[in-house]
Amino acid sequence: MSQSADGLHGAGHTAEGPAPPAAVEQLHAVRLMVNGAAHTLALEPRHTLLDTLRADLELTGTKKVCDMGDCGACTVLVDGRAMYSCLLLAIECQGREITTIEGLARDGELDPVQRAFVEADAFQCGFCTPGQIMSLRALLNETAAPSEADIMRAVTGNLCRCGAYVNILKAGRRAAELAAAPREAGSPGETLPAGEAR
Amino acid sequence: MTATESAKPTTAQTNGQTNGQSNGTHQIGRSVTRIDALEKVTGRAQYAADLFLPGMCYGVFKRSPHAHARIVSIDTSEAEKMPGVVAVITAMTLSKDMASVVEEEMHATRKVVSLFPNIGEKVKYEGAKVAAVAAVSREIAFEASERIKVEYEVLPPVTDVREAIKEGASQINEDSQPADALPDGPFAGHPIYNVAGQNHRAEGDVEAGFKAADRIFEDTYVIPRAHQTYIEPQTTVADCAPDGKVNVWTSTQGHFATRSNLANSLRIPASRINVHGMTIGGGFGAKFGGIVDTYCVLLAMKAHRPVKIVYTRAEEFLDARPAPGAVITVKTGVKNDGTIVARQAWALWDTGSGSGGCYATSRVKGVYKIEHFKLDAYDVNTNKPAPGAYRAPGAPQATFAGEAQINRIAHELRIDPVELRLRNMREGEQIAFKETLSAVAERAGWAQRTKGAHEGWGVAVGEWTNGAGPAGALVSVHEDGKARVFYGLMDITGTDTAMAQIAAEVLGIKYEDVTVSRGDTDSAPFGTASGGSVVTFSYGNAVKRAAEDARDRILELAAEHLEASVEDLEVSDGKVTVKGNPEASVTLAQLGQMSLRSRNGPIVGRGSFSSEPSATTIAAQIARVKLDPETGQLRLLGAYGSLDVGKSINPMACEGQMEGGLVQGFSWGMMEQMQWREDGRNWNPGLLDYRVPTSLDFPDLETVMVEQPTKNGPFGVKGIGEPPIAPGIAVISSAIADATGVWINEAPFTPERVLAAIKSKAS
Repeated sequence: MSQSADGLHGAGHTAEGPAPPAAVEQLHAVRLMVNGAAHTLALEPRHTLLDTLRADLELTGTKKVCDMGDCGACTVLVDGRAMYSCLLLAIECQGREITTIEGLARDGELDPVQRAFVEADAFQCGFCTPGQIMSLRALLNETAAPSEADIMRAVTGNLCRCGAYVNILKAGRRAAELAAAPREAGSPGETLPAGEAR
Repeated sequence: MTATESAKPTTAQTNGQTNGQSNGTHQIGRSVTRIDALEKVTGRAQYAADLFLPGMCYGVFKRSPHAHARIVSIDTSEAEKMPGVVAVITAMTLSKDMASVVEEEMHATRKVVSLFPNIGEKVKYEGAKVAAVAAVSREIAFEASERIKVEYEVLPPVTDVREAIKEGASQINEDSQPADALPDGPFAGHPIYNVAGQNHRAEGDVEAGFKAADRIFEDTYVIPRAHQTYIEPQTTVADCAPDGKVNVWTSTQGHFATRSNLANSLRIPASRINVHGMTIGGGFGAKFGGIVDTYCVLLAMKAHRPVKIVYTRAEEFLDARPAPGAVITVKTGVKNDGTIVARQAWALWDTGSGSGGCYATSRVKGVYKIEHFKLDAYDVNTNKPAPGAYRAPGAPQATFAGEAQINRIAHELRIDPVELRLRNMREGEQIAFKETLSAVAERAGWAQRTKGAHEGWGVAVGEWTNGAGPAGALVSVHEDGKARVFYGLMDITGTDTAMAQIAAEVLGIKYEDVTVSRGDTDSAPFGTASGGSVVTFSYGNAVKRAAEDARDRILELAAEHLEASVEDLEVSDGKVTVKGNPEASVTLAQLGQMSLRSRNGPIVGRGSFSSEPSATTIAAQIARVKLDPETGQLRLLGAYGSLDVGKSINPMACEGQMEGGLVQGFSWGMMEQMQWREDGRNWNPGLLDYRVPTSLDFPDLETVMVEQPTKNGPFGVKGIGEPPIAPGIAVISSAIADATGVWINEAPFTPERVLAAIKSKAS
């Protein structure tokens, strides 16, 4: 654990915004492709992808927990691969395709991984859930038929304090099934809520 | 094993087919999809940090780098001069801002503490708040906090309770008086210093009991402080309107508790404060307000702008309210046949700069008939943060001491540890201790267990009784025949779903046709905080009563319409039918429409609950472990849990609680410990060094439910959120002892400790 100048552990890590120095650095035009849409932002080079997604693009589904790559809550897809967005600078993501939890559902239909999480009751408080889902999505991008060990490994970097691991792994297996099979009509939780959440 | 008719072990139906599909009239006892599932898998759920208000500023804290020091001076002038800084608060500014104390109300503890130390006063742990700054950006606020100059007179710290109680140890709370010396036990004969609380209890005559015993066992157990490690950090957004109205959006287990704490701290009427409870990302007892919300409101008041404070993960470890640690000595006298005759405990709870731990020591007695029992327990101050509640507060620590020794006694007497427990367990009305233990033993194959090299089996039980608290609810039935539950319940996980099931059951409609909404404190009827396993018991009663009230109105309207008497009607499948005449019926939708033109107007049922006693329950758990003799690494081969849930509303959600609690309890035994250096600095304030389990640690576990209903719970419900954490540490310790032949009495059982045990046995 690093220590800042006054010797207090980790005080330099702020939960809502990047670390000091405070003086505003020069702004750069950063062009990001997020969930299929192009955005041009004026950012300081020190801005992480995570802060940019949450504060500048208002994509708050990606969660900030440790801001140092320990927990996986901020996992997003970068060119289809799972990455910790707290460890990436926005400026280095130019020209790469970024997908967040908000970009997974297509045409009002949940991604198979999201459907599997609903079916398997793979979350409790839900705070780590977007990261877990993105990690498993990345796994399915890589292989259509993951092994048990693949599934377990895919989410080892995503902490779940509610202890829902059994169901998260179950959801991983179910997601692979759902992704492989043609969609079953009328299965529960398959469409996005229209209007109020229920 | 046997299970009585009223307490049948059941297995939850959690396969995909049952999800969300309800087709009968019974809506309780079904594993239905969580009501919040879609918003949580799509990233739409709104947690407190997801709120960005126009003009919002950011608050950060200036913290003490010393564990124990006296404040000589605080100079905020440089910080205040910085462009972008909108508010700086310290103890010196607070008299002007009215607030001088903050209260934290939890089910286990209640405290009044200074917001900040004043000049001449002390900081008592590393990371203690000295000042707070709000600025237009986090970076500026942080830089400003760095420019606050604080001069300290550094004092010697004390971090071990066994040192803190000694004469000559640094006195942490200067007004604390030493406690009288005890006549017996591990710290007998000396006054006890740094005492922050005491608990003494005596039943029967332990001396006589020990004399009557064939064998006497005495062991000392050490449990480290553990952090609740809720994944979502402590977060608050506050805004103060020109008319004095305070709005707070926060991560809390109880927004009414947060409101009353704020009102007491700020000395303003509760009606001037509106607390919006946001979706909560885990709390486990640690989110009842006080840690950031009061400061956030004070900054917003001073800045005249909205202010957001989000804790960093390091701040979580330095200055939140982790569980207390404990050093507990237990002496037990038994007969050769395993009958426990006397038990005595001496406990020192590590409560940091605060108090709240020793009250739980009575759990050392466990669930056994013990005629002679005595305890002397103390909260002891050390230079660490004050304690807070953590899921069944104090139970995992005290249960480890009690249950680990039960296992050692069973081993020494060559009696099976399950059998020894069954022989000594209390029995009684609404209690299913024996059935619950037998159920998990059967599921795990305990009686037929075998083990390979370096493998071991462990078992323990932990008791807990849910609390109860005041709750109100409204259930309205609309003109489409669907119902809505409205209340002030903070759904920490799965309870909104259970409430929808309860309302649906009473109204004879499908669970899918009930929506649930949580009001802020201005709009919702009062509701107790979601802690102490109170929710399904208390709100369940309120919602059931409100739904029954709505059903009465439905029947009244239907009776008029069908020209029948209320007694001849039944409500099911979304309609009211005259018994024996299925042709004579009217749908809830029709009744909802009729109600708008009726004498008594729209259908709104009201239900309130205050407090009634529940019945006690146990979680019983078994672990099968394998140790690596080269590294001391422990691997779980199997984990099994059972719990008497009273009555399961949603079996899938009950399973989730049983699994989650088991994981947290086991991991406290396997890996979790907050550590402090001799100088009082925190050694592991991050998720890399404070280990919590990953998917690799708990690949599989099995649960089995027992249902022994309680009289006062809705449909027989018992509170179940907390009990499954209680036995964990003891389960793991006995599995290791079974594998190595060595009893490790200091948790967690890290590879280093396990390796040392293996080596000590070999030599």
